[in-house]
Amino acid sequence: MPSRTPRGGRSLGLAPLAWIAVALYAMFLLFPLFQSLFWSFTDKSPLQGKSDFVGLANYTDLFSDDLFLHSLFFTGIVVVSVTVVANTVGLLLAMLLNKSTANYRVMRTLIFIPQVLSGVIVAFIWRSILTQNGLLNVLLVKVGLVEEPVAWLGSSGLATFSICVVVSWITIAFATVVYTASLQSVPAELYEAARVDGAGFFGRFRHVTLPMIAPGMTISVVLCLITTLKLYDVIAVLTSGGPANATQSTAYYLVTAAFTDNRFGYASSIAMVLLVLTALVSYSATHVLRKREADL
Amino acid sequence: MKRARTLFATAVGLAAALSLTAKYAKQLQASGQFPDVLSSITPNDFIGAGLLQPYDRTWLDDHFTDPDGNAIKGRSYIPPTNAQIIPMIFYNKKIFAAHHLEVPTTWDQFMTVVRTLGKAGVTPLQMAGAEPWAAAYPLSGLITADVLGENPDWVKDRYAGTVKFTDADVVAAVSKYRELVTAGGFDKGALGVNYNDANTQFLAGKSAMYPMGSWLIGLIPPAGAADFGTFLLPSAGGGAVVPFTTGGTTSVSAKSADVPKAMDFAKAWSLSRTNLKTLIETDGAFPMLKDVPFDSFGAKVTPVYTEAYAYVTGGARKVSAFGEVNNDDALPAGLVDQFNAMAQKLFTDSDVKGQLAAFDAAWDKAAN
Repeated sequence: MPSRTPRGGRSLGLAPLAWIAVALYAMFLLFPLFQSLFWSFTDKSPLQGKSDFVGLANYTDLFSDDLFLHSLFFTGIVVVSVTVVANTVGLLLAMLLNKSTANYRVMRTLIFIPQVLSGVIVAFIWRSILTQNGLLNVLLVKVGLVEEPVAWLGSSGLATFSICVVVSWITIAFATVVYTASLQSVPAELYEAARVDGAGFFGRFRHVTLPMIAPGMTISVVLCLITTLKLYDVIAVLTSGGPANATQSTAYYLVTAAFTDNRFGYASSIAMVLLVLTALVSYSATHVLRKREADL
Repeated sequence: MKRARTLFATAVGLAAALSLTAKYAKQLQASGQFPDVLSSITPNDFIGAGLLQPYDRTWLDDHFTDPDGNAIKGRSYIPPTNAQIIPMIFYNKKIFAAHHLEVPTTWDQFMTVVRTLGKAGVTPLQMAGAEPWAAAYPLSGLITADVLGENPDWVKDRYAGTVKFTDADVVAAVSKYRELVTAGGFDKGALGVNYNDANTQFLAGKSAMYPMGSWLIGLIPPAGAADFGTFLLPSAGGGAVVPFTTGGTTSVSAKSADVPKAMDFAKAWSLSRTNLKTLIETDGAFPMLKDVPFDSFGAKVTPVYTEAYAYVTGGARKVSAFGEVNNDDALPAGLVDQFNAMAQKLFTDSDVKGQLAAFDAAWDKAAN
């Protein structure tokens, strides 16, 4: 079918499709975003149709809200520890599994499974492992490493540690796949040349592997940061934000503020802060890592 | 659920729309899809926005033993069809007998039981501390017994600002919780135990007592029911105080396309003896229908149920279970979650006054 040709004789090509995409993007992302921004300046409740303009009150309240500040602190701990652990372990696993035989392909598939599973399912599995009479405590008591079961989810410190472990477990799967793909794109000749030049294992890693996988590292680190900054599902299943709100992430607190405390406007301001924070962190990380890519 | 939807659609000819949690109902309202009939919600959150239709006075008076059980400012948005006791203390009779213990009727006796069991290497009290709502039961039980037991209008007085959580009576009640914790009343890792594990441990005889809602009766296997009994947390003022919660089933949206039909369905659903029979057998619910003899439900119950039901039908003093009711004694929106978090915090934090002062501040913020 011939494409419609406007005056001037140039074909529209895929422009109409692109406009549809832009319209859908505006409808399903930009409109809710601006609506949320508008609500963040109101006292909107999920139960009331009407709301009043409150200016910056929601934003100023945030900085005197201990629960919000703690949620930011907790989220920060998870973001940093998960990003570091997932990328370090992910890279190590990718290097171990960077072979093309069937065995390694199976192992890579197994490692990717946590990423395929829903966060809710993963959290339920870990809940059965970490609970008082869970698999881990049964094992630790049986082998005599501990006398009494450890409260993995029952104290603020251990619950935070447990959340970091579970989220890392999920994210390691993703990082491993990204790093494996990056490693497989490194030409073997570069390693051979380095070997000829007398480079040992660490030399080859430092001067060949790291520069070549730098773009993959940027993707993996930035996506880890974004994923953990909006963490909700694992928290909801594993600890419900407890004990005593110790593991309440900012995203979890946002939902509580909106649908338990009925402070939709306030929750919208949390959403805006989280959005800006995610954008800033992602942009900064991308900027730093891209600069590093160029330096390497 | 599927049956309920079908019945609803058939009965009122409307698009089936049921909501089963308060949070989900709020999400539906926020997205302009508020359902016609709702269940398991906290009406206090919704009536300010005019979203719920009150039941008519005559119908409530005609059918229920406590028509005002769920009343908020004189109007009821949930039919008071059944009741629960939250919490009551379930205990293992075999463990008590093995350690020559009697059911305690005073706080000192209760602490003696706790210490005796602890010294014998038995976990005195089970707690599903990983669930914030369950972690709060020992604390809410103490506040109900000692504070609301003395002044049943305490929550209304708190709304009026004439009492505070930092008052001596509340501090004393909450300090008892700390006394329990420091005396080894709970397993050290209790905050890591979820509800299912806690039930399993208690029913398997791995702990002696369990402060829990009366619905636990429905989980006790009939074959082993003779090993379990119930009692009420001893109050400071002496005598039994029943932490009473009038429950119910359906609320009706005031914004429904056909309010009268939705109301007809809700009324029929609430008075259904089949529904109540199921609730009695599986949820340990106590029926509150007027002039309907218990036997007419045809429910099979265990001796534990009969023992607990006596607190409802007998002369014991019933007061609103703190944080668990849907009437004028309900807490402001969001405060139940904060109370639950405080209960978890007090498991390791001995600063009772500091925690209560923070809760006072949270109350003032949420209620104003």
